[in-house]
Amino acid sequence: MPDWVNLHFVSLLNGLAIGFLLFILAVGLSLVFGMMDVLNLAHGVLFLTGSYVAWFVAGPSPSWGGFLAALTVAALVGGAAGALLSLACDRLSRRTHLAQALLTLGVALIAAEVLSALFGNDVHSVNPPEALDRSVSVFGHAYPLYRLCLIAIGVVVAGAVHWIVERTLLGALVRASVSDRQMVSAVGFDDRRVKALVFGLGALLASVAGVLGAPIYGARPGLDVTVLILALVVVVIGGLGSVRGALLGALVIGQIETLGRALLANFASFLLFGALALVLILRPRGLLAPANGSRS
Amino acid sequence: MTIQRITRRGILGAIGASALAGLPGCRSGDKGSASEGSGARRVKIGLVIPQAGVYVPLGTDLKRGWDLFLERHGGKLGNHEVTTVVADEGDSPQSGVPAVQKVLQSDQVDVIVGVVNSAVALGSQDSIKEAKKLLLVANAGAGAITGAARSPYIWRTSFTNAQIASVMGQHLAKAAAGQRVYILAPDYAAGTEVLTGFRKAFEAGGGQIAGEAKPAFGKTQDYQPFLAPIRQSGAKAVFCFFSGAEAVAFVKQYHQFGLHAELPLYGSGFLTEGSVLAAQGEAALGIQTTLHYCAELDSPANREFVAAYRAKYDAVPTCFSVQAWDAANVLDRALAQATALDGDSLSKALASVGTIENSPRGPWSFDGQSPRQQVYLRKVEKRESGYVNAVVADLGAFSQPA
Repeated sequence: MPDWVNLHFVSLLNGLAIGFLLFILAVGLSLVFGMMDVLNLAHGVLFLTGSYVAWFVAGPSPSWGGFLAALTVAALVGGAAGALLSLACDRLSRRTHLAQALLTLGVALIAAEVLSALFGNDVHSVNPPEALDRSVSVFGHAYPLYRLCLIAIGVVVAGAVHWIVERTLLGALVRASVSDRQMVSAVGFDDRRVKALVFGLGALLASVAGVLGAPIYGARPGLDVTVLILALVVVVIGGLGSVRGALLGALVIGQIETLGRALLANFASFLLFGALALVLILRPRGLLAPANGSRS
Repeated sequence: MTIQRITRRGILGAIGASALAGLPGCRSGDKGSASEGSGARRVKIGLVIPQAGVYVPLGTDLKRGWDLFLERHGGKLGNHEVTTVVADEGDSPQSGVPAVQKVLQSDQVDVIVGVVNSAVALGSQDSIKEAKKLLLVANAGAGAITGAARSPYIWRTSFTNAQIASVMGQHLAKAAAGQRVYILAPDYAAGTEVLTGFRKAFEAGGGQIAGEAKPAFGKTQDYQPFLAPIRQSGAKAVFCFFSGAEAVAFVKQYHQFGLHAELPLYGSGFLTEGSVLAAQGEAALGIQTTLHYCAELDSPANREFVAAYRAKYDAVPTCFSVQAWDAANVLDRALAQATALDGDSLSKALASVGTIENSPRGPWSFDGQSPRQQVYLRKVEKRESGYVNAVVADLGAFSQPA
């Protein structure tokens, strides 16, 4: 291994772990916007809901069962919330993006207040499942096992989302709805149901990401805004509506958040938006923006 | 919801403050005659401690120390029957300052004890001064409270942030001579005081700082980006200050990323004090900290205190329990000599209590209005009962640094 890589190995690896977590969070936001033209500003609060679910259902030192239960509950809550949001946004489909943004922002603010009323203003920390709560040696560097698992989960989710969008009937319907919604209705599919399903899946991924991220970020008021901003930066850098773009954007931001902070500690707070500004200047549509906003 | 509550309290506090400003003289006059007029002498204490929010564990320990002292002294302090009124400080000055005003104004207490948050102590100065009542700070560690922003009515039985940190700085300059140390603390007032106190003492002893990091306070959960530069700085040891959930997260990640095997971790005692130590578990093994108290201290006063505390609460006392115990302890002495219960008489009495020989923390005395006390070097060890902060050395007596 070259010296430089060896020196920064842990930062690079951690960048991957954070990157894949951001991917699971951001891919839903990207698909919902790119394919359905809805900018869901309640995405961050869905993540935070997942984090609180992890703390509440699984407890501070969860067993496997507790953690899986938290994932299931978060998936159900997230999916249902997404479907409801989709129905609410559907009524605004002829209005501008601003109307949708205001609706989802309002929902996000209310939901965040409800969460802090329910769970208080404390910082809750959550441990990984007991079996994963230890470190392993990776090329001689100690690294938390849970974060390695996060990388693996991220790879699987990325593959699954890609497969769904590119290879399944649902994916075909989604792409068709974007191209010509009336034609999809004409051949007998209810496009509102497709929208609700995609919106629900996107929201489900956000709240699942919240559970997965809880052992790293904990659960606290204000986390929703932090992750929403990260997710927005990811999709803008990657290009809206593209699964591959979201993946690339998430991995880039993951590295900026870890390796960047390690290398340029004094400029840490400028790096994230510096990168965003750079991409907006050089590639205003994102690094991997699809030509018509519909391809994965 | 929260905003509404704070606002309502804020308004209440403002009304309280303006009412106070109007009639300070007649209030203290009333009180004095009332307590002298009746046969049995009485004193009313306002215990202002967090009962909600992130500092609840500290509030619990403070209350236990206070209650235990009273219980073992027949509910009396210096021949005065004690009535304790508890008020919730919360976790910010928005809730804490009104709580102080509430006990002054509507509960008409003679003395205020407690206050965890330094901003609350500093923010209450004016109303304390107007009311001419004594505030005995049982935790808040900002140097200014008994230093630059000193008020004659505010005394302290706890510590100052820089006091604890500078002792470690002095110790490490000798113990790790010639080795560079990396320092970290959250980016807020107490964190800055700790780092400044450590740096001053460490550099004065000939030590060299390898680097410094200040993670955002209350927002940082992933410390990996702060841990990576430590390795690259060439430091041979790390000094840090975190408390509560942050102490748990930092210590666990320091261990998970394998730094504990290469760089010994030193800290201000709060890093491993109280309930956080159980949550850190194995990751805390070997961490060395300085603090003005240690439950493992082998002295008659401490053995008796720990046994009584265990018997009553089935828990190990913390420095917070001792700070409240000692607040009661010094009040006991001051009330025995004081001629009246107003701030001026009690301050005068406190100034002459001399050395507190029977404190669980070891003998201490007031230097100015803050303790001159022994500071101990402690190391986390595993015993059959669990993880403890074992005493390594008594580093000597220290006052609040200038």
